[in-house]
Amino acid sequence: MAGSSSYMYKIGFLVNPIAGMGGAVGLKGTDGKSYLEEAIKRGAIPLSPRKAKVTLQKLYEYRHDFTLLTCSGVMGENIIKEVGYKKYTVLYHLEGPNYSTAEDTKKVCNLFLEFKVDFILFCGGDGTARDIFTVVREEIPILGIPAGVKMHSAVFGITPKISSEIVKMFLKGKTETQEAEIMDTDENLYRKGRLQTKIYGYAKTPYVPTLVQAGKSIFYNESDSESKENIAQFAYEFMNDDSLYILGAGTTIEAIASKLKIKKTLLGVDLVKNRKLIMADVNEKEILDVLEKEKKAKILISPIGAQGFIFGRGNQQISHQVIKKVGIDNIIILATPYKLSKTPILLVDTGDEELDKKLSGYQRIITGYRIAQRHQIGLNTA
Amino acid sequence: MEQIKILLDENEIPKQWYNIQADLPTPPKPYLHPATKEPVKAEDMAPVFPMELIKQEMSTERWIPIPEEVRDVYRLWRPTPLYRAKRLEEKLNTPAKIYYKWEGVSPPGSHKPNTAVAQAYYNMKEGVERLATETGAGQWGSALAFGTCLFDLDCTIYMVKISYEQKPYRRILMEIWGAEVFPSPTKRTNVGKKILEKDPECTGSLGIAISEATEDAVTHEGTKYSLGSVLNHVLLHQTVEGLELKKQFEQIDVYPDYMFGCVGGGSNFAGQCFPFVGDKLKGENPDLQVISCEPTACPTLTKGIYAYDYGDTAMLQPIALMYTLGHDFVPPPIHAGGLRYHGDAPLLCKLTYEGYMGAVAYHQNPVFEAATLFAQTEGFVVAPETAHCVKAAIDEARRCKETGEEKIIFFANSGHGHFDLAAYDAYHNGKLVDYEYPIDLVKQSLEKLPKI
Repeated sequence: MAGSSSYMYKIGFLVNPIAGMGGAVGLKGTDGKSYLEEAIKRGAIPLSPRKAKVTLQKLYEYRHDFTLLTCSGVMGENIIKEVGYKKYTVLYHLEGPNYSTAEDTKKVCNLFLEFKVDFILFCGGDGTARDIFTVVREEIPILGIPAGVKMHSAVFGITPKISSEIVKMFLKGKTETQEAEIMDTDENLYRKGRLQTKIYGYAKTPYVPTLVQAGKSIFYNESDSESKENIAQFAYEFMNDDSLYILGAGTTIEAIASKLKIKKTLLGVDLVKNRKLIMADVNEKEILDVLEKEKKAKILISPIGAQGFIFGRGNQQISHQVIKKVGIDNIIILATPYKLSKTPILLVDTGDEELDKKLSGYQRIITGYRIAQRHQIGLNTA
Repeated sequence: MEQIKILLDENEIPKQWYNIQADLPTPPKPYLHPATKEPVKAEDMAPVFPMELIKQEMSTERWIPIPEEVRDVYRLWRPTPLYRAKRLEEKLNTPAKIYYKWEGVSPPGSHKPNTAVAQAYYNMKEGVERLATETGAGQWGSALAFGTCLFDLDCTIYMVKISYEQKPYRRILMEIWGAEVFPSPTKRTNVGKKILEKDPECTGSLGIAISEATEDAVTHEGTKYSLGSVLNHVLLHQTVEGLELKKQFEQIDVYPDYMFGCVGGGSNFAGQCFPFVGDKLKGENPDLQVISCEPTACPTLTKGIYAYDYGDTAMLQPIALMYTLGHDFVPPPIHAGGLRYHGDAPLLCKLTYEGYMGAVAYHQNPVFEAATLFAQTEGFVVAPETAHCVKAAIDEARRCKETGEEKIIFFANSGHGHFDLAAYDAYHNGKLVDYEYPIDLVKQSLEKLPKI
């Protein structure tokens, strides 16, 4: 179907009108009604309608290739009308006049499932992405127009304009889908100065494979999944050395587990030795206990989320104590070339400043079969 | 005033190539047949190469005459100039003296036609009507197109499809010189057809293109195959560079302390340094340092093992004793495409293994940084491959600044980078990735493998 000009794509369009309002007024997010009221009181201006408008304007010339399925008022219809689209369907009528809630988002997404939209274009932040994912899981690809305060999830275009470029490529059938982490931070802890980010799962998101870059033989003849397969093959070959392997979260590490024929805890940490599963879904204490008995241990880890955190987000079980016990020379970082091209800056935030300093600087990252790249790892200064 | 260009007269173009096999302390180990694992005989190679080149491949004669017709073509750009990099020295404020021999003056812009012209000539002499070859980004293909054009042979070039589509300039050059260029995999060969059946979208690889060109040669009367590096006869033809270089250094009464050259297959650097390594083999100038420069992405000499391995991914080519990263290793996509080869010339490997030559590896970014400094001082924009030895020369000159040594540093400036400006652009925009070869993990993975 993709790429055929006669096909009319159905795009589910949804705006979280209050996303991003907390940032400028120092509230670090607007999840929860009381914070929203406070944000409005502090004079916060809605950001997301403006950003969503940019994307829709850029898509206007392609309007005959798709139809928008959306919600009334501030949740979508207002912007659609403003840009001048004539062809759209309102599936959901918002009751509150100025803002929507997580419940509204979820109800809309159930309708998107029912009407079988081809993908969902939404404007918001991590909270919105998480609400959508809760309903649609990996059944519908989702793409975010960035407007939130927290955007750790990997479903967002870098700018509203880039989001529109991805949609255009999708309409031309030139995108593939890949798994993208849905991540969110506990806003209450964040307000207290503690950043606790969790992976909630892997959504599907359209992406444009960067097959060709200008330049002599600078091309990857491999897709992201082929890269994962190559990394997994290499890892499979070197994981037979009597070391305990601590496997972090993520789909790259999952590819290794599937090569080992092990059922990986996708969002958690597992222990493997000589290609056999020792313990699944372990917490920090369990890892430390096992480490007491092991002579050699290694950590297999992959950068997580849009910001490319190696330690400190989504892999909290591999704490600074665990890392110190294993030794920083025994950390093996793995990532696909595509992932690295999207996250040029990699970060660590183990909660131990000294250790973070030791982990920063140039590090080797396994990117393929017997291939590595050298990348700079920075300290999290956010 | 000190001389900047050290030039030779046209009649000083060497009349013989130098065959280092005559001076080796022990003979090189033979190529093995990929099927029988027995030493390759001349008749095994006959369907692929003309007899004169097979003889050169196996010869132990020290001097092999350069045919007058080949010398006559060489006159178009040879002798190439030897330069003193005075402005670079001043910029580095080094007491060392830096020299480079500039092969970018040839019509295709590199050292490659030194052998392309000779190979075309011998094929023409033996009645061959057409040559088939492969090319990645087009450096070798354009040299052979040029060579065959001058001797009125047809030339068929299998160009890796993604380069064919994305890098049109070298392809256009080949077509100007009359070659037919096909994006590989093609439907012209069984190898290509099979691959396209499985994957119609296949973007190709050098391994596939080699297989297609070889199949084309062996299945067509009057057609032979041609290879641009690695083999002994290719290295032999390239010694025309080093023999000129010796005369040029003699003219100014200089002998190098360091020689640097980039090594992909090894023919360019072997051509420049073998006449000097020959001196070392005879016990003269034992302190001369001869260093191959390679990328960390494909560090054959610095991280590979010295063993018998296949020359290509399809395992059709003879098995040779060389440094190798394994014939199944596909190096990452660095800009110096000419250095992406899992093995190296067996003769160069043997000399490295025995300690007559050394090797060093560099990341892409510092290499382009050095090449940019070179362009800003000496003016020439060198090929990404060549940039590796520019880096080595600059590093050595900087070391000399620290120690105050007045060393003579030479590097083989093998070609221009005018078709590689996108690589420089990527460097300037911070888009170049530095690759590495994870040797510790590779070793770990090999430790428990069953020994064959």
